[in-house]
Amino acid sequence: MWIYKKKLEYPVNIKRKDLKMAKYLVTQYGGPAGELAAAWQYLNQRYTMPDERGKALLTDIGTEELAHIEIISSMIYQLTNGATSQEMEEAGLGANYAQFGMDLFPSDSFGNPFTMTYIKTVGDPIANLESDMAAEQRARVTYEHLMDLTDDPDVIGPLAFLRQREVIHYQRFKELRNYYLENKIQSKDS
Amino acid sequence: MYNYDLRQNYYNYNNDNYNKPLYTEDANPNSLYDPYAGFIRGNMFKDLYNPYKTSKPIEIQATTDRDQMLAMLDAFDFATVDINLYLDIYPNDKDMIELFNQYRMERNKLCEEYENLFGPILTSSNANMAYPWAWDNKPWPWEN
Repeated sequence: MWIYKKKLEYPVNIKRKDLKMAKYLVTQYGGPAGELAAAWQYLNQRYTMPDERGKALLTDIGTEELAHIEIISSMIYQLTNGATSQEMEEAGLGANYAQFGMDLFPSDSFGNPFTMTYIKTVGDPIANLESDMAAEQRARVTYEHLMDLTDDPDVIGPLAFLRQREVIHYQRFKELRNYYLENKIQSKDS
Repeated sequence: MYNYDLRQNYYNYNNDNYNKPLYTEDANPNSLYDPYAGFIRGNMFKDLYNPYKTSKPIEIQATTDRDQMLAMLDAFDFATVDINLYLDIYPNDKDMIELFNQYRMERNKLCEEYENLFGPILTSSNANMAYPWAWDNKPWPWEN
């Protein structure tokens, strides 16, 4: 089961409303390299991992990704909080306002809704871990693109933190992949 | 806003960290950042730290006592999260288990102190003995 901690993994205190940035950021909520996809990819893969190290790592990184969904969501909430319908419209978020009002909705930056087909799982621990490594790399690069698009330190702080977590997660997935290869650990039944 | 020079740097970006060989089974606990330094970097492991654009890590802007205590709790919480991931795949690293537990105990102490003053972070907290029901109280994590 999961336990809720009433705090963020990294604080979000954005003082400047920025609807355009919110529109870009949302892809890390519900886009192809977003935190929701990552969380579910790892938590979904963990059941059939071949050893205890893999079950532990996928559980713990998947859980951390849930905390990252909360950080990104908090950023979107604060970037849009108090905006008028006209401001939403001017920032290209008129369709969001029409469909969801000021609620959050997991989509990519273009507005395409989140889809579970973003998650990769194929029934082989090496292939799965390599998908996970790729997911971390794609998320890292997306965070770099987002950092390119803002000069607000209140936004850059959490983005830099989240980006760095992708670096570490990538490293741990790679170490586990290498450990499986070196020890010829292939599948749950082997 | 859109800094063309920085954008150019992206393409010359040093990606060496991604090609590091397998980490050794016993990482030297002395090669880790302290919890706050690791927290603001998002990385406890000095030799894995790989910043982008930010020439130095961004300090947490804590203006109130509450924010300051929360930042310390966040830092120790973070240290245990990051070392936990390491230990998942290096379960025989005694020194690192010791460091994990040192930070874990400090985290638990900080959490209790914070909850006594500012209300519950966990529903299992003693701070939930308060009347009226303290869990409902502001601030929620996404609010600033």
